[in-house]
Amino acid sequence: MSVSADWSWQRVALAGARDALTLPAWIVGFGLIGIGSLARDVGYPVDVAVLSTILVWAGPSQVLFFASIAAGAAWGAIAIAVGFASLRFLPMTMAILPLLRRPGQSVWQQMWLAHYVAVTAWTEGLRRLPGIPPHQRVVYFLGFANACMVVSSIGTFSGYYLLGALPTPFAAGLLCLTPIFFLVSLTAGLRHIADVVAMMLGLALAPLCERFIGGGFDLIVSGLIAGSIAFLIGRRRKAAA
Amino acid sequence: MTQPIALLDGPFWPYIALILFAVLPTEIWRWLAVGLARGLDPDSPLLEWVRMVATALLAGIVAKLIVSPPGALAAAPLLVRVAGVATSAAVMALTRRRMMLAVASGEVVLIGGVWLFGT
Repeated sequence: MSVSADWSWQRVALAGARDALTLPAWIVGFGLIGIGSLARDVGYPVDVAVLSTILVWAGPSQVLFFASIAAGAAWGAIAIAVGFASLRFLPMTMAILPLLRRPGQSVWQQMWLAHYVAVTAWTEGLRRLPGIPPHQRVVYFLGFANACMVVSSIGTFSGYYLLGALPTPFAAGLLCLTPIFFLVSLTAGLRHIADVVAMMLGLALAPLCERFIGGGFDLIVSGLIAGSIAFLIGRRRKAAA
Repeated sequence: MTQPIALLDGPFWPYIALILFAVLPTEIWRWLAVGLARGLDPDSPLLEWVRMVATALLAGIVAKLIVSPPGALAAAPLLVRVAGVATSAAVMALTRRRMMLAVASGEVVLIGGVWLFGT
């Protein structure tokens, strides 16, 4: 829904929450159900599972953390693996923060806003924020992201107690929600031919790099190559037009 | 299973481990970005490039999850996993981006596929 410039902050926050609850919040919530069961498998208490959703706020990092503990990996190796898997947040956060920036905003508020950056808030934010009056964007973003976080915390909590009982096809379906939703969100945000190139090349190069580079560097290498090629194509077209 | 570090062992260990080995390695990139994004113009070419790299990274994660799947998703054969994701992408392209329909149809293909061909 669109937000009008004269709305009160409460109404803007509610509009953000409502947009999240039309679909995105539920998908993240369902996607993080699996985290609950992973945490239970390693014998960690339910509040650590829910805290991981609130404080880490990145499905792949949480999966890596609990699955690595179950596999008996060294703590140092776990931290490095999580760090590499989260590197994407550097460019993602850099790309969305300028949309949320206001004169006089403190570093602390920006760090708070940055914490919510994950696939949903990022793809939806890049798509929706430009259409919202600049002074209402922070409130809208917080309403949207917090609604996602509340639903996801409930999802993680229920997964802790429920998921073990699920038949395999449905457990597989829940785990596949993450890649399906990532891809659908990306597709929804495509604007130029360069975006399409970045997505397609990213899809194609990542498994290739995993095969030939590995060691945790593969994803970032494929992202840099695919992103740079897409950027150059975008520049070319802009120059030609 | 990975054992706690002896010095820090106790009822609070899971919380300490979560902060040290999951929250910090994830959050550090978001905080670093706050410093790096200061003073950047939203329309600058640098940010355009950064956005392209982020898009490619996200797409890369999708490909990696499909090629080397975690946990129960491994019960689905590669072809079923690819078919699920491809169905969602095709529905997005053909229905002018109806996300709900796209996610649902991909899931139907995947769950049905595991039910029919799963291990």
